Amino acid sequence: MTALDAVSVYLPTARLSVESVAEQLELSEMQVKLFRRFHGLSDVRYDPELSLSDLLLRAAAGLTELAGQRHRVRYVLWGRAFPVVVPYPVNPLHEVCRTLGLDHALSFTVTQQSCASALLAIDLAGRLLAGDPEPDALALVLTGEKGFTRDARLLPGMSLFSEGASACLVSATGDRDRLLAYACSQRGEFDKAGSESTEAFLREYWPTLAEVIRRALEQAGMDLAEIALVLPHNVNVVTWQRVCLLLEFPAERVLLDNVARNGHVFCTDAFANYQTAREHGRLRPGDRYLVAAVGAGDGATFAAMIFEH
Amino acid sequence: MMAPHETGVDADFRQRVVETMESVLKQLLERDEPVTEDMRLMDELNVNSLLALELLLRLEEQLQIQINVETMDPDKMETVADLATFITANHRAL
Repeated sequence: MTALDAVSVYLPTARLSVESVAEQLELSEMQVKLFRRFHGLSDVRYDPELSLSDLLLRAAAGLTELAGQRHRVRYVLWGRAFPVVVPYPVNPLHEVCRTLGLDHALSFTVTQQSCASALLAIDLAGRLLAGDPEPDALALVLTGEKGFTRDARLLPGMSLFSEGASACLVSATGDRDRLLAYACSQRGEFDKAGSESTEAFLREYWPTLAEVIRRALEQAGMDLAEIALVLPHNVNVVTWQRVCLLLEFPAERVLLDNVARNGHVFCTDAFANYQTAREHGRLRPGDRYLVAAVGAGDGATFAAMIFEH
Repeated sequence: MMAPHETGVDADFRQRVVETMESVLKQLLERDEPVTEDMRLMDELNVNSLLALELLLRLEEQLQIQINVETMDPDKMETVADLATFITANHRAL
């Protein structure tokens, strides 16, 4: 069964207040107030000095479990929100593989599901490992993104994005953080290039997210009440309050602590929230927890995974 | 059940909420025609999700209150009256 053997996250240490980035992002005073009051977004993290490769390598550097196991890593997957992030022929994934001594691994990028691409990468890594003839093969799943443009940093009226990266060692038979279910709903009609309006997407957002969560629970043969903790994507606080109302799930069991201090870190939220949950003792052995992510913009996708810690 | 004087206070406050909503909505929607309690927020006044949050924020500022948005089900806030009743029952004074 697919398992997360180890997780490491890197976030730029500098935090910028929403007020300090308002001019750069062309936010009105009212938009700033809305982000703070209802969306619970107050800080974002950028580091213009760090390249994409730097971000990925810093996350991987924290993965001490990788040492001595490099030869077992057969796959390196980069789950990413943006389809294109560097000019040809620059290839951060290959640079990272070379630096980490993972040239031998099959490496590729998973995208087209926006911020839900990381969950797809975990699922794919598990499937590749399950089909691999080597029983102790491992996969390294990376996430990491830079906010290159205003469009990349801002989802108007909805969210503010931050830079960051994660590295996750995945095995097919590990005994910790085992993947019990994965459900995904791709809504092509809401893709940025599609014809449906933002308002229609926002109206469908909560019920579709709730539906995909219910589907993951059904797949795992569980009731929502059995979920000890939800590790959300940090889109904003009000979205999760509404999803909780819809699911009749207590909002206190959704880890929203990082929304204010991290902003929405593209594909990295799930792993940063996992790390916070462990640091704060909010996951005990045997707990079942749910990870959810929504990809808006390029590749409208709703996804949920259930793990056992 | 509320005591009569409490009902009176709530009714007065609700009236203030309605009046403030009417004025804020007219301003937000750049509308000259009156806004009335029975009007449907989304279908009739075209108040979308983003505008709804701006409306709540302006109401909080003008009425000096904090609305308990975490308990608000947007699907049940069909009319101006629905929202005014919710705010009356789910706020705290600042």
